[in-house]
Amino acid sequence: MTESTKQQIDVCAASELPSGEMKLIDAPDGAKIGVFNCDGTLYAIEDRCSHDDGPLAEGPFDSDACTVECPRHGSLFDLTSGRPRTLPAYQPVTTYPVTIEDDTVKLEVS
Amino acid sequence: MATPETIITNAPSERPAEERDLAGINADYKEKFGFHDSETGYAYKAPKGLSREIVESISEYKDEPQWMRDFRIKAYEHFESRPTPQWGGNLNQIDFEDIHYFVRASDKNSRDWSEVPEDIKNTFDRLGIPEAERKFLSGVGAQYESEVVYHQVNEKLEEQGVIFTDMDTALREHEDLVREYWATIIPPNDNKLAALNSAVWSGGSFVYVPAGVSVAMPLQAYFRINTENMGQFERTLIIAEEGSDVHYIEGCTAPVYSTDSLHSAVVEIVAKPKARVRYTTVQNWSQNVYNLVTKRAVAHEDATMEWVDCNLGSKLTMKYPSIYLLGERAHGEILSIAFAGEGQHQDAGGKIIHAAPKTTSSIFSKSISKDKGRTSYRGLLEIAKGASESKSKVVCDALLLDEDSRSDTYPTIRIGEDDVDVGHEATVSKVGEEQIFYLQSRGLDEEEASKMIVNGFIEPITKELPMEYAVELNRLIELQMEGSIG
Repeated sequence: MTESTKQQIDVCAASELPSGEMKLIDAPDGAKIGVFNCDGTLYAIEDRCSHDDGPLAEGPFDSDACTVECPRHGSLFDLTSGRPRTLPAYQPVTTYPVTIEDDTVKLEVS
Repeated sequence: MATPETIITNAPSERPAEERDLAGINADYKEKFGFHDSETGYAYKAPKGLSREIVESISEYKDEPQWMRDFRIKAYEHFESRPTPQWGGNLNQIDFEDIHYFVRASDKNSRDWSEVPEDIKNTFDRLGIPEAERKFLSGVGAQYESEVVYHQVNEKLEEQGVIFTDMDTALREHEDLVREYWATIIPPNDNKLAALNSAVWSGGSFVYVPAGVSVAMPLQAYFRINTENMGQFERTLIIAEEGSDVHYIEGCTAPVYSTDSLHSAVVEIVAKPKARVRYTTVQNWSQNVYNLVTKRAVAHEDATMEWVDCNLGSKLTMKYPSIYLLGERAHGEILSIAFAGEGQHQDAGGKIIHAAPKTTSSIFSKSISKDKGRTSYRGLLEIAKGASESKSKVVCDALLLDEDSRSDTYPTIRIGEDDVDVGHEATVSKVGEEQIFYLQSRGLDEEEASKMIVNGFIEPITKELPMEYAVELNRLIELQMEGSIG
């Protein structure tokens, strides 16, 4: 990925994504991305389980552990790294940088 | 102590001549394994059926920590929300409300054989367990119904830090270690049956081998169901630290009943770098048992994981031991034997996932079908992107002993790298008249000739078993072969 292909998109107002909440958004390329607030720190991962390509971000979210569980087969993903902590998934999912600028949550995508 | 009262069902002398003549499958199963004991003196037997209350009561009864209670409840919700799988064997006939999910035969788990209740002791004596322990095992566990009634491990191994105990005790005495690995290999939401096991699990083995320790003789667990309409849901976790070596063997039998029982285990294995784990199963459940098991292992860098899976009994088995090769140069091997006679469906196989470079694997599957029995090989070989220079070989051979039997092969191969070496061979053969004729010309009768062909067919796998088990497996298969000719 080169710098020139990256772009920032607005997710929502910071107040709309409190701790323990997740927002699912559409990226410009059509992919879905889940933006999570883990106890005040924001993380974003692609909405795709690396096990079978099913949706991931709307699975059970543990804000304290900063993990999301695949609703289909139970793989637990670390939101800070995108890596699975449990099988059956064994490959990481894509993560995206998230920032808050002017009270707006912004996502950097390619 | 309960009154010793063993009821032998259908003793040989009472069997009508026609039944003896038709003896094909597991000819003497009823006499040798299929007896059942009286339930007099049982400590606890949950009512039939599954509910949130039953799940909570199991946890309550075992006085478990809160995280395990929460885990069970969550798993129960997964089980309830998932449909029954409609692939593989027919699971629609299982009545999940007609099963006892927890039966405790004895109040205690002994380390002294003389303390085991008399009737349970008699059962395991008949099955040869204490004798095997004395002769060639490093440790043994005996599970009767839902819980382990006897557990022993060689003192020298214990001094070296080896833990071999039942899972309930492990949760009490090594909670942190259990929790670190628990359900990381097979999460409760992996599949419907893993969810069921996670909700109502009881018993099973916990094995921990410290770094560099080699367990020279096998550890063995023996699982026995006695109650009719019983569900056995043991949970096994094996952790082999760096450079360690362990061989775990399990065997299982149950009484012959006219209604069905359910066995649904979860087995998780972690082979750390350079560790070697072999897990051998000789599955000989009676033909009224549904055997629906999830087994999965991970092998880290330079580790070796081997499943030796022999399926002879049960009404329906659905079991596909899997290995995730997560570290460079990890090696995985699955050896599978399935034997299906009348009324049996063995849906077996294995899965290997190459997730790191230079990993190697092989799957050898041998299935034998007779008397309308059905065997299926269902396998997955996956080489993930990045697992370059990996090698794998899959061989599945099926032997049909008559016109009415059936064998199916469902191999899936996914390859995400170019620089790999993957081979797949499959054969289906019938025992031909020419083969029989040739052996008869060497002085064997027809039945002996047929047995010799079958023994030769499975020999690549039996030679991997410890001698005592190879002899037992050959004997079991010979029993199944009786009456198969003419």
